[in-house]
Amino acid sequence: MIELIHILVLFGLIITAALIVWQKDLIAAAVTFAAFSFLLSIEFYILQAPDVAIAEAAVGAGVSTAIFIIAIRATHNQEVT
Amino acid sequence: MRSIVAGITLVVLAVALLFAAVSIPFGNPAMSDMDDYFIAHGQEQTSANNIVTSIVFDYRAFDTLGEACVLFTAVFGVSVLFRLRKKEEDYEYE
Amino acid sequence: MSDCMSKIIRTTADIMFMFIVVFGFYIVLHGHLTPGGGFQGGAVIATGFILLIVAHKLDDFLGWFKKKAFQNFEMSGLILFIGTALAAIPLGYLFFMNFLSGAGGLFGQVVPYGVNPGFLNTAGTIPIMNIAVGIEVLGGLSIIILYMTSGISNHEEGE
Repeated sequence: MIELIHILVLFGLIITAALIVWQKDLIAAAVTFAAFSFLLSIEFYILQAPDVAIAEAAVGAGVSTAIFIIAIRATHNQEVT
Repeated sequence: MRSIVAGITLVVLAVALLFAAVSIPFGNPAMSDMDDYFIAHGQEQTSANNIVTSIVFDYRAFDTLGEACVLFTAVFGVSVLFRLRKKEEDYEYE
Repeated sequence: MSDCMSKIIRTTADIMFMFIVVFGFYIVLHGHLTPGGGFQGGAVIATGFILLIVAHKLDDFLGWFKKKAFQNFEMSGLILFIGTALAAIPLGYLFFMNFLSGAGGLFGQVVPYGVNPGFLNTAGTIPIMNIAVGIEVLGGLSIIILYMTSGISNHEEGE
């Protein structure tokens, strides 16, 4: 059972990492980055590192998403091509 | 032309990194003396159940001091940056 | 932010703020028994404050918590951390020596070797340093977001 969850989390990591690069809307990319950090904290917990999992969930999914969204709000919403 | 050079560089880098990652043995540390010492003596020397915390805040506390100074420097830089923007009322943004 | 979110988001943020702060202080205080510690717990508490900043108006938030309070949190955390480390020198120990461990009194209970249920009154100076780093990270991460948000608000009003 834990191997199935592990494989699902790894595929989710790859899919969300690819989505971050392909998104044109930067707000959507920031939210996808929060999902990536959440999946990465689950991966750390499966690999028996709960300290790193708590730090990743708090800093990666909480603080850095807020910093990204505040920075996007001060500039433009779309990626410059 | 640039895309061809970029593709060749990407392939060469990927092969080199994959070769390095495969050739290094993973999960087989040669020297584990410090780990054994911490696991054997950590609980009676610091009387903390959590070995990670006893290393971070007791054996290697200088690292934590440096981390606290790094965070203080980050806060200092952010405060200086946004305080400059607040004072210059006459500066015109695009 | 200059405008606030809808009433549903504000009420949810108000309710979740209490649980997030209590969970963060649990992580900080039990840092020497369970996974976590000062940095992790402080980051969790700062996430609660950031939730309030994002959900409400900035002026409402500054009416509840002053900027000066977070600056004082940051300063007092660093001073408590370095003061705990320096307090070992007049007592005849080395810098960063764990001089309260196993000495009785505050955080000085001797822990039995091996598997034990975990007692809160152990580990010497480690819980004090956990609390110091927790307060410092709480103030630091909150004041970064607060400065960025207030800078953006001034920028938008100036246009």
